Amino acid sequence: MALKLVNLSKRFGGVTASADVNMTVPRGTITGLIGPNGAGKTTIINMITGMMDVSGGQILLEDRDITRAAPDDICRAGLARTFQNIRILPENSVLDNILIGFHRHEHCSTLSALFGLPASRQETQAIRDKARSLLTQFGMSAYADYPAGGLSYGHQRKVEMMRALASEPDYMLLDEPIAGMNDVESDILAELFQHLAEAGKGILLIEHNIRFVSKLCEKIYVLDGGRLIAEGPPAQALRDPAVIAAYIGGSDA
Amino acid sequence: MNAYVLGYLPLFDLFLLHLGLAYSQWLVLRSGVFSLATVGVAGVGAYTGGVLVVTYGLPAPVALVAAAIGGGLVSLLLAIPLARLRGVYQAIATVAFIQIMLSLNNYAEKITGGAAGLNGIPKVVDTLTLAVCALATIYLMTAITGSRIGRAFDAIRQNEAVAASLGVSIEAHHRLAFIVSGALAGFYGALEAFHSYTLVPSQFGFPFLIAILSYVVFGGRNTIWGPIVGTALLIILPELARPLAEARMLVYGLLLILTINFLPKGVADTLIERIHAKRLRAKPAPAPAPTAGS
Repeated sequence: MALKLVNLSKRFGGVTASADVNMTVPRGTITGLIGPNGAGKTTIINMITGMMDVSGGQILLEDRDITRAAPDDICRAGLARTFQNIRILPENSVLDNILIGFHRHEHCSTLSALFGLPASRQETQAIRDKARSLLTQFGMSAYADYPAGGLSYGHQRKVEMMRALASEPDYMLLDEPIAGMNDVESDILAELFQHLAEAGKGILLIEHNIRFVSKLCEKIYVLDGGRLIAEGPPAQALRDPAVIAAYIGGSDA
Repeated sequence: MNAYVLGYLPLFDLFLLHLGLAYSQWLVLRSGVFSLATVGVAGVGAYTGGVLVVTYGLPAPVALVAAAIGGGLVSLLLAIPLARLRGVYQAIATVAFIQIMLSLNNYAEKITGGAAGLNGIPKVVDTLTLAVCALATIYLMTAITGSRIGRAFDAIRQNEAVAASLGVSIEAHHRLAFIVSGALAGFYGALEAFHSYTLVPSQFGFPFLIAILSYVVFGGRNTIWGPIVGTALLIILPELARPLAEARMLVYGLLLILTINFLPKGVADTLIERIHAKRLRAKPAPAPAPTAGS
C-alpha cells in the first residue's frame, strides 16, 4: 500500500530535471522530500499528478500504473495536492472554494444536476454541511462568505488545504504547505498532518524548513540536480556528506 | 393604458427572445470557453425549425424540439476541434463558424430559400409562450449553477490546473457546456423563426453576435442576473434615446466602452458584489486569525 516512483525521469531537451528517481510513499506515515532550490522537487510532484509528461520510468499508485494518466483521473484515483504558489479560485467565496474539493465524491447524474432534481440538491446540501465542518475545524467559519481572493496569504493556504482534504484522498502531496506561516500556525498544521498520517493517509511533504521536516517525517529523500543524493531517517540523511555539500557547498566547491 | 402596454409588447418579446440567446452565450463563458458560436447555432435552429414546418409540415412544437437537438448536436461537433483551443483562438474559430453557417444558409437555396429568405413561417409563438420559455431557461441556468456542474465550470474558468487536480474533467465539462449552450441557441433560434414569419441568412451574422455578446458583457458574466439586466437595459435604452435616434449606435458603443472600463464585471455583477461586500462589512468582523487546526 504505497505510492511508488520507479526510475522516474524528466528531460527538457538537453536539461535533465529528474533522473532515475526511486521513491516510496507508504500510507500511514509522512515522507519528506527536500533539496535546494531548483533540485527538481516540484517537477516530481507535477509528474505524479499528471500535469507534466513523464520522460521515463513509472509511477505506481498501489496496484495501478498512473504514469500516463490524466490529472483528473489521478485525483479520482485518490491523490490530492496543494500548490507551492497558492492557487485558489479568487472570484469564489471561501465556502465555494472548499465545495469544489468534494467534486470527486459527487455522484448525482448529469441530468439531475442539469435540471436541479432533488438528488442534485441533496448532494449539494450534504457537501455544504461537510465544508462548514471543515471550516470550523480550521477556525475559518467566520470567513465562509468572503471572496477567497481577498484573504491573507496564510488563510489562502488553509483554504487550499481544506480543499485538498475535501477530496478525501488516500495520498496527499503537499508542496511547501507552511511557507509564509508563523510558528504557531505551522505547529497546528504539523499536528494536522500527523493526524492524517495516523488515519492511514500517505503524505509526501516538500519543505524547505528542515526543522519542520525532521520533526514530522519518518523518512526523507534528498534531491539535488534532479538526482536523489540521500535517503533515510532525517537525522541520518541530513548528516550525509553529499547533503551537506548540496546545501552549504562541498569542500571542493 | 392597455394600448400603451400593448405598444411595448413587441419590445418585450424581443427582450425574451434575446435573453435566451444571451444565456446561451453566458453559459459557455461561465465554463471558461470563449466561444461566440451562439448566433451561428441559433441560425441552425431557426432554419431547422422553419424548414421542418414550412417544407415538411411538421407541427411547431416538434420542430422546436428538433431545433434544440440540432443545435446541441452542431455545437457538440464544434466542440471537438475547439477542445484544444483557448481564449481568443476559440473566439476566432467560432466567428469563422458563424460565417460558414451564414454562407451555407445562403447557398443552400433549395432548402433555405437562399438570400431571398424562408417565407410563410406561421407565427405561432406569442408573448406568453416566450415568457414561459424564459422562466424555464432561468430556472435551468440557476439549477446548473448551483450543481456540481456549475461548481466545476467555476473552477475551470478560474484555473484549469486546479480544476484538473481536483478531479474535474475539463474536456467532459466543456463538451457539456457546448451541448447545453447549443441546444439553448437552437431552441431560441427556432422560437425567433416562429415569431417572425420570415428568415434571412444575414439575420444571424456579425451584428447579431455583437448584440448578444454585449448583453452579457454589459450585464455581467458570472451571476444569473447579468444577462437579464444587460439584455433589458440594452433593449430599452435605444427606445428611451429615441430623440437621439440618429446617434443610437454611437450612444450604444459609448456605453459599452464605459462599462468595460469602469464596470468590467458588468452592471449587475458589480452591483451584486457591492451589496454583498456591504453585508459582510455590516457583520461583526471575524476574530483575528483564530488558528485552530484539527
